[in-house]
Amino acid sequence: MLIEQSAYANRWRRVSPAAKAAFALCGFIGAFVAGTPSAAVAVAGLLAVVTMAGAGVSPGRYLRVAVPALFFLSISCLSLAFSLDFKGEAQAMTFKLTPAGLQQVADVSARSLAALAALLFLVLTTPLIDLIALLRRLKTPELLLEMMVLCYRMLFVFSAAVHDTLTAQSARLGYATTGLALRSLGGLAASLTLQIWQRAHDLHVAAQARNNDGPLRFLEPRFANCGRDGALAAASGGALITLAVWLS
Amino acid sequence: MHIMEGFLPVEHAVGWTIASAPFVAYGLYAIKKRVRQYPEQRMLLGVAAAFTFVLSALKLPSVTGSCSHPTGTGLGALLFGPAAMAPIGLVVLLFQALLLAHGGLTTLGANTFSMAIVGPFAAVALFRLARSLKLSFAVSVFIAASMADLLTYVTTSVQLAWAFPDPQGGFGASFLKFAGIFSVTQIPLAISEGLLTVLIFNALKRFNPQELQDLNVITRAEVRA
Repeated sequence: MLIEQSAYANRWRRVSPAAKAAFALCGFIGAFVAGTPSAAVAVAGLLAVVTMAGAGVSPGRYLRVAVPALFFLSISCLSLAFSLDFKGEAQAMTFKLTPAGLQQVADVSARSLAALAALLFLVLTTPLIDLIALLRRLKTPELLLEMMVLCYRMLFVFSAAVHDTLTAQSARLGYATTGLALRSLGGLAASLTLQIWQRAHDLHVAAQARNNDGPLRFLEPRFANCGRDGALAAASGGALITLAVWLS
Repeated sequence: MHIMEGFLPVEHAVGWTIASAPFVAYGLYAIKKRVRQYPEQRMLLGVAAAFTFVLSALKLPSVTGSCSHPTGTGLGALLFGPAAMAPIGLVVLLFQALLLAHGGLTTLGANTFSMAIVGPFAAVALFRLARSLKLSFAVSVFIAASMADLLTYVTTSVQLAWAFPDPQGGFGASFLKFAGIFSVTQIPLAISEGLLTVLIFNALKRFNPQELQDLNVITRAEVRA
């Protein structure tokens, strides 16, 4: 996963996750308080520059992560641009491009772009396990955190199982036609479903062997300079929101 | 296909989050109660969330020749119950946003409502209705899985139409527009997902009938058969 690789390899890996989350939150607020498309685009641009120049995420990787979301945004905006019109006695349905629709596209796409940049800043600089630790400090229900921890640890195991099974099935021409592909996929998903019980049972036995009958506890990484990072994030986040308002 | 980051106006994003919260809270309460009764199921739901995440990343061949991914909504709801699917779906959607930049944090509430609440509840209701009408197990699973998929996207269309009413035709015209666009890809995809879920349940019935019976998906008589 590209995002995970970047989250572990960027320059701000050792910066406090709370500070990065606070700055990303300011980015989200900036995206929503920006009153004009140009202000929202400026917020998006600044967040992208901070992620690439500050955290050292390469532009190529940033683009590769952003492109699917941008493609989806362009399709979503296309559907917003056109308005349905029912014409004549037959009430024939036609699509019409309206100035109001175009203005809406500009507003929504710019806001979405800025919010996406805030999300990318957070996920490309902070590993998921640090975000889960942050959620624990924010008093998220223990059961939900437990599901997140287990999900995070198991999804790589399942991904490897999917990869191996897909390779084996493809080697036997399991995906040669649409019918065969559906059948192979059914077999793959069914074998994965069977693993749910097996793996859950194994984890339960392993936990019981260690006398665990409560929440799953893991050592959390410690971050130096939390106070300084937090103050810097608050100041720069505040400046970002002020800029968004000022440009509107 | 989820609503992307920042796409909904702030009042809609907050509104859908508030609407989803009681379902997630009830789901957590239901899971806690179940885990107290069956401690061995404590790990099951976290593993199930990982399974749903991986399943949603699989490429599913659509009957139109295109390719998309299954939602796993119907499968999960039939296996673990609709209440448990709300927190599981929330975790899966959060992970999709944080690991794949698919969906988003501001639209998490809206996406949870459509994919992890409406879809699973519709799947279980339709499955029970089909079984009460004496339809075969395979047909019941197909109806539940494909309709759960479709209703997820009908809900997404409602959410988008509500947020962005058509300047001329209002909510109705906007809903027609979004539902029309989704239907091109989602109707064939719902059929494919229905077929895939039937294949999965056939394999489960063959190799793991006891687990299906423990989860109240099939009866003791069907296990013997």
